[in-house]
Amino acid sequence: MAEEKTTQQFDPEAILEVRNLRKCFPIKKTFTGKVKQELIAVDNVSFKLKAGETLGIVGESGCGKTTLGRTILKLHESNGGQIIFEGKDITNLKSSEMREIRKKMQIIFQDPYSSLPPRSTVGGILSEPVEVHNIVPKSQVKDYVLDLMDKCGLRDYYYERYPHEFSGGQRQRICIARALSVNPKLVICDEPVSALDVSIQAQIINLLKKLQQDMNLTYLFISHDLSVVKFISDKIGVMYLGSMVEFGTKEDIFANPLHPYTEALFSAIPQPDPDIKMNRIILKGDIPSPANPPKGCRFHTRCPKAIAGLCDEVTPEYRDFGNGHCAACHLLNKD
Amino acid sequence: MAKTNKNYLSGKEIREIAKENKKVMKRLEAEKYRKADESEYITQLKNSNNILEIDNLHTYFFTEQGVVKAVNGVSFDVPTNATVGVVGESGCGKSVTSMSVMRLLQGPTGQIYSGEIRFKSKDKNGAEKIYDIAKMPIADIHKIRGNQIAMIFQEPMTSLNPVFTIGQQLDEVTFIHNPEASKEDAKNKSIEMLNLVGIAMPERVYNSFPHELSGGMRQRVMISMALASDPRLIIADEPTTALDVTIQAQILDLLRDLKDKIDGSIMLITHDLGIIAEMADYVVVMYAGKVIEKGTVDEIFHSPMHPYTIGLQKSKPTLNSDSDTLYNIPGNVPNPINMPAHCYFKERCNKCTAKCSGEYPNMIQVSPTHFVACHLYDEEQKNG
Repeated sequence: MAEEKTTQQFDPEAILEVRNLRKCFPIKKTFTGKVKQELIAVDNVSFKLKAGETLGIVGESGCGKTTLGRTILKLHESNGGQIIFEGKDITNLKSSEMREIRKKMQIIFQDPYSSLPPRSTVGGILSEPVEVHNIVPKSQVKDYVLDLMDKCGLRDYYYERYPHEFSGGQRQRICIARALSVNPKLVICDEPVSALDVSIQAQIINLLKKLQQDMNLTYLFISHDLSVVKFISDKIGVMYLGSMVEFGTKEDIFANPLHPYTEALFSAIPQPDPDIKMNRIILKGDIPSPANPPKGCRFHTRCPKAIAGLCDEVTPEYRDFGNGHCAACHLLNKD
Repeated sequence: MAKTNKNYLSGKEIREIAKENKKVMKRLEAEKYRKADESEYITQLKNSNNILEIDNLHTYFFTEQGVVKAVNGVSFDVPTNATVGVVGESGCGKSVTSMSVMRLLQGPTGQIYSGEIRFKSKDKNGAEKIYDIAKMPIADIHKIRGNQIAMIFQEPMTSLNPVFTIGQQLDEVTFIHNPEASKEDAKNKSIEMLNLVGIAMPERVYNSFPHELSGGMRQRVMISMALASDPRLIIADEPTTALDVTIQAQILDLLRDLKDKIDGSIMLITHDLGIIAEMADYVVVMYAGKVIEKGTVDEIFHSPMHPYTIGLQKSKPTLNSDSDTLYNIPGNVPNPINMPAHCYFKERCNKCTAKCSGEYPNMIQVSPTHFVACHLYDEEQKNG
């Protein structure tokens, strides 16, 4: 029955579909290894991503956005739900079966200083995945890598150099080139510009946009910086304490934010124009610990519009409000 | 190719650099630890409305690879009751400037080489004295540091001592600057400060350890620690960089409120133009150890003049813009060792002229408060 259901409902247009994905980390175990307490890092997240699109995931630290990216890549085993990539359910594939698929899904990490091996040259770093996955015949590997370096804005004489000789922006270019060396379809960018300066940030964002057009890539762009996410994304998902609170196209979300958290998040960003004096919504308190999330709506402890007796008791339903614009909030159900 | 690669030095070169450095460092260290009478470092302010005047400050780091001129001739003023924002990319010397004001540079490598830092200090009786912080011996610096000038550091996680409670650390500030205070007084003062920064349960926080608090709370504790001695100038070095946006909004709101409450000035160091636009009255833009433009917040954001300031503003994506590609400044910040003699921004500038290969441009005054260091505006000065 379950088999039948899953094969029927694959969306042929979507390159990646995530259904009710859940990831827990054990934080306390008994002597026998039984899990006593869990931290729910990703809870019931669902979305669809079409080929060639960019989905931006925003949220504060600890909201599970990085865990979501890693679970989709199966760097973490999921604890429930489905990950469907190119019409194939990859949730329970063995690691040997994943190998073929890893060619098509790649990741760019946040910190370019710690994600490159210090003892390999740039040429070595970039040729290794090409050789492992047999992308081109051995004799052509060097030409292929040099061509790739050119695309990513790296000069050809960098081939013999080591990562420590480069600045942060250049290293991030190496990381991008490494991710693209196997011709992936989906690239998960986990805060690729957070560690960089503003002027370098703009270079990397433009590079990512250009590569997307040239190579027809699909991005899952994880960031805490809303202005960057707005710039690069077609669709945006807002996460809070492990669950998706709002999802929709960029235009919908910015023109008409439904969830109070999204509103507060937008108003919290300082604008580089001294004339804009916004009516800032300042949230009270801190993010609750994900190990002990509040009952009911997880945002109710900080929400300025929370309804006593409802928001702190019942978990709101994640619903579609037209045109794929989904949100989970009790206030929206009232009308 | 080996010649062009300046990452490697020969053993002979390294020994020569070390010999040269040792000589200078020994002289500067001796100066730092000398005993001096107060009259030696009392000076006059250029404008009595200022609380802090930094004048042609040079702070160098004498490293094994050569001298890093982290701050290379920086001048700007902090007026009384104003917020001055210092903005720039990493490595432009904005933090080193603040460390020089606090005299917290790591010796013997980091030294104030020359320049003046004039500060208007006010003792308990209300008598005003102007000190030159750059010339003060390190033994006398307690008169000012932590007392009249306080600092809020970037990382609240690492700036608090993990083995003492918040209360012990806050009380210490009161005891150091007011040795006669009783334990009761110190505790009352600490709790008052915690209340001031909006901590909900000050008694509980007073008895907790730093690891029990969240990032935003820790930053609030850091701010309350800075306020404990009633400072006249607060230096906030990237106070919100390590925090989330919603927490950042809380802290910025708090800093704005406090400025009115304590009746002091704030020197805010950040790389985020948005924070500057929101908080500052005056802006100082730094690049590679030099001030390239300074002015009021309106001048810098509405009529920026230096190509770097213009580029920096265009390269930041904003929520209101709808363009398809971002403007970007090509290239990287130059290597801080062996800086060229011409304008440091020349290689990355899109408005470069033949004049730019000449000497470093002077600071040109374009309005009573607006200054820019760029050859593009040399003509204007002659005409005006």
